[in-house]
Amino acid sequence: MKISEGLKVIEKGWIIKPKGYRVKYQKLVNSELITEYSPDLEDKPLDSDVVAWRYAWKLYVATKSDSTEISDGELINIIVVDDSDNPVKYYATNQLEVFNHKENNV
Amino acid sequence: MEGFSIKIAKLESTMSLYGREVLIAFAIVVFGLILIKWINQALKRVFMKLPISPAKGATVRNIIVVLMSAALLSFAAIQIGLDARPVMRFLAILTLGAIGMVVVFRPLIPSLPFKVGNTVKIGDLLGKIEATTILNTRLRTFDGKTFFVPNRKILDDIVINYHFSDSRRIKINVGIRYDQDLMKAKQVLESIMIEDPRVKPKPGPVVYVLNLTKNCVELGGRCWVDNMKYWVTKCDLLEKTKFRFDNEGIVIAFPQLDVNYYNKSESPVYAGQSRLQGHGASFESTTE
Repeated sequence: MKISEGLKVIEKGWIIKPKGYRVKYQKLVNSELITEYSPDLEDKPLDSDVVAWRYAWKLYVATKSDSTEISDGELINIIVVDDSDNPVKYYATNQLEVFNHKENNV
Repeated sequence: MEGFSIKIAKLESTMSLYGREVLIAFAIVVFGLILIKWINQALKRVFMKLPISPAKGATVRNIIVVLMSAALLSFAAIQIGLDARPVMRFLAILTLGAIGMVVVFRPLIPSLPFKVGNTVKIGDLLGKIEATTILNTRLRTFDGKTFFVPNRKILDDIVINYHFSDSRRIKINVGIRYDQDLMKAKQVLESIMIEDPRVKPKPGPVVYVLNLTKNCVELGGRCWVDNMKYWVTKCDLLEKTKFRFDNEGIVIAFPQLDVNYYNKSESPVYAGQSRLQGHGASFESTTE
């Protein structure tokens, strides 16, 4: 196998390089839980997972509520996903992280 | 005295014949220049909103200003009483002459090694070029200070233009303790760089063992990114390196001091053991 072919095999199998990141969350709209992304799927994704996670955390802090029920405007189950909608590990803990995890009790 | 009074009389007759036209032409030039200045500022505000580079916008505005000024001077000259055709010929010759001079002598004229909008370092000054004039260059630093740097100083000094090339190399240097898993540390550092979408796949990221110092094994990660994303990407990679090394159990080295305390009459007591009380105690220290 040529080196260039070998490098392609390594690139494909060893480390997946996402093309971008988005913050995925859920919120209540007309008593129904909907899933949204920021930036939207039509827009260009963020190119940094550090920025994406920081953005996700700020959204969580800005919209969280102390109640166990999901309130209006509250964003729940906030995670960061890549361009293929796969969850991305939080770089600080190297684990999958969910901000404001709440079950759908509606 | 008689010659002076003759000159005054001639001036009076000239003014009575042409004075009105001269005053009108003067007023046209003054108000015309004010109008051109106002149009130039309005165009500057419009171009700032358009998706064109500041340098191109400045060039287009300068061309428009020159054409308007030429038209204004022609109109003023015709108002005085000059014939239109010779005035136009004169302006055309002047313009062609100026263009010819620029084309011929441009390679010989020292030019500044940057354009408006470039990020540059001139001596100790790091910032963005806002404007250039014949005499000086306006540079704005990233903390908001504005410097007017004489062009002759720029031509005599070393200038770093960060926009000259599209990409730039990031260095991530980190030292690990000698008792750490070197292969694992290299792989983790390399994967951190590869995973980041901003890091270019070619030339690919690499990790070198740079040095075996008395404090640590020094690793050097190298990768290339777009020039515009250099600073933020470097900071992000450093942050992720620290977190990932912690999560993987790889200890980043830092200078340490071991203090060994012992009593003269007894055996030495090392850090972590119980301390012996006694007279005449002394201690020795070693640095690592």
